[in-house]
Amino acid sequence: MSTLAPAVTETLVAPWVEWARRCTRGRRLLEAGTYALTEGAIAAGCRVFAGYPITPATDIAEYMSKRLPQVGGYYMQCEDELAGMHACAGASLGGLKAMTATSGPGYTLMHDAYGWSITNEIPLVVVDAMRVGPISGITGAPGQGEFYIARYASHGGNFETIVLSPSSVQEAFWLTIDAFNLSERFRTPVTILTDQVISDMWEDLFIPEDYDALEFVVPRKNNLMMPFYPVGSAELDVPPNVIGHGTGVCVSAYTHTEEGYDIEDMEAQWAQTYRLINKIRHHRDQLTRYETVGVEDAEVIAVAYGANARTVKTGVLEARRRGVRAGFVRLITLWPFLDELFARDVPYVVCELNYDGQLVREVMRSAPDGKKVRFMGKSAELHTVAEVAAGLEGVARNGRIPELPYIWTEVR
Amino acid sequence: MNKLAKKYLRPSQIPTKACHGCGIGMIENWLLQAIDEMGLKQDDVIFGTGIGCVGRQTFATWGGDNFGATHGRALAVATGLKLAQPDKKYLIVVGDGDAASIGTSHLIHAARRNLGVTVICEDNMGYESTGGQFSPTTPAGYVTNSSPYGMVEPGFDPCDVVKAAGATFVAETTATQWHQTVKIVKKALANDGFSFVHVRFPCNENFGAYALGTRDTLKNLEWIYEHTQGRKADGTETDFTWETGIKHDASNSRPEFSRLMRDMNARVKADMEAKKKT
Repeated sequence: MSTLAPAVTETLVAPWVEWARRCTRGRRLLEAGTYALTEGAIAAGCRVFAGYPITPATDIAEYMSKRLPQVGGYYMQCEDELAGMHACAGASLGGLKAMTATSGPGYTLMHDAYGWSITNEIPLVVVDAMRVGPISGITGAPGQGEFYIARYASHGGNFETIVLSPSSVQEAFWLTIDAFNLSERFRTPVTILTDQVISDMWEDLFIPEDYDALEFVVPRKNNLMMPFYPVGSAELDVPPNVIGHGTGVCVSAYTHTEEGYDIEDMEAQWAQTYRLINKIRHHRDQLTRYETVGVEDAEVIAVAYGANARTVKTGVLEARRRGVRAGFVRLITLWPFLDELFARDVPYVVCELNYDGQLVREVMRSAPDGKKVRFMGKSAELHTVAEVAAGLEGVARNGRIPELPYIWTEVR
Repeated sequence: MNKLAKKYLRPSQIPTKACHGCGIGMIENWLLQAIDEMGLKQDDVIFGTGIGCVGRQTFATWGGDNFGATHGRALAVATGLKLAQPDKKYLIVVGDGDAASIGTSHLIHAARRNLGVTVICEDNMGYESTGGQFSPTTPAGYVTNSSPYGMVEPGFDPCDVVKAAGATFVAETTATQWHQTVKIVKKALANDGFSFVHVRFPCNENFGAYALGTRDTLKNLEWIYEHTQGRKADGTETDFTWETGIKHDASNSRPEFSRLMRDMNARVKADMEAKKKT
């Protein structure tokens, strides 16, 4: 067994790799994830925050209440999360970029507004700082229970969603700008699915000096003419609709025509669904964000996202040190799901912060052989490096994950 | 199509899908009269609705910009929209379900904030588009399709609720009071703050048929009229009386919500400038 870690390839695919290279002037801070999420939003041009305080997302609300008036924006503390996201949708319809932030209990309440924003193609950003559940669970402990809820953030079907997840304070800053850009370009709400650890932890953070000079920020444009809803088209970069400019736009909860009139007609239903699904599916190349380590020669690959990916990555490097050719996949784009990252026919070990198994099911679906996909679920606490290394070693040498306390391996 | 409809509405969207004899179209015509008498143009007014008879039948009829929120959320959407478009007039035309039940929390807090919108609560005393169930404004004891033995719950008066919450203009009227309603809506729209106008109107297909035993529009209107007078046509007293008219008028007595926000921003900006200088 080699004691030295062999050279291993690391890849990060995300637009902010280039952004970070271009931004050289700025400030280096020691700050929290919630601070980075707030500043990222301000840098992206967010001018309205409407929400309801909830641990562990409350600090975003507090930071926003201070920052937004400084840049001519508006902080609104609403009567509940329903009002919060609907007010954001209203502000966005009025022409201002908007964001809300919450945790699981508030995120499910927002689904009414989420569906309304999806069908009306309203750009918005929603932060869900996940904590362990179900329901209130443990307010100060991390969880990853909203992987599927974020995909299906409304009832009724017939839509795709965009969900991104950061795994460091610095990444939270860039990713928030990215989330705003995508919401503008795709005319849809984007969820930043983060967790209690990333929100609450303090870390090194670089912030560019001049937000006005960030040429990679997609500015808000206004769609001033028909069609307001290009139903039947997957076209990207259609400017968002605006209320208050006399265009006569109609926005509603119903299946609509290209004018926005409600219509009860199968062909209209088809055309609207084509638009909502294919504007995302046909442009998946614009939505690829991930990190990998050593997947090319790996005999076993660990899969994780968010805060948990940090200890999992170290666990992969530790397994390599022990002589296991371990690889690592960290999903940044959670939805649409990056099936192509699981093309190699090797065992995958999916580490996530829930016992029921959510991400693992998508990896099972995507991998060439779903039977080779293993699950290491943990809840309320990150995986330890030792657990991950032991799991990878077990799969590589014996074809199974050893029994470990508080680790759940059963999926079905 | 009449002159006002031609001036302000969308020909392709009217007549609406409302049932024969429904009061929704008539009340909308009165809203247009108020808008016209105030000299407002299509582009001056943003028209917001919710779900149910009132939402579905009025959505997209307005010739300017329209939004139809999910059930109860019209005021939540309007709160955000008002920040972005503070200079517009907002007509939020909703039913008793939207205003007095599923969306009451937003109604109360919009009143508390003195949000600059005019809510027209067109109340047909039940959930009629789902087939005629009772709502919080169904008179106690009346039979509906979900209160076959008579409604046992006490109701409430949404005017009392918004007045207590801080609304700066509150009025009640009915579909039998044309001129009074137009006058009231004009006053409501002139208030730069939260205005609430409660308008009862008959549903012939459900409330009329089940609670009152008739689908005859005139008989159902007469039943409403009698309850504004406290006396039936035959001279006997009605079972209860609706006091109509202006309930509370503190128009323009305190700052509108988006104005407060903009004033705060101006103060923060001035403080920042002053700090920069020193």
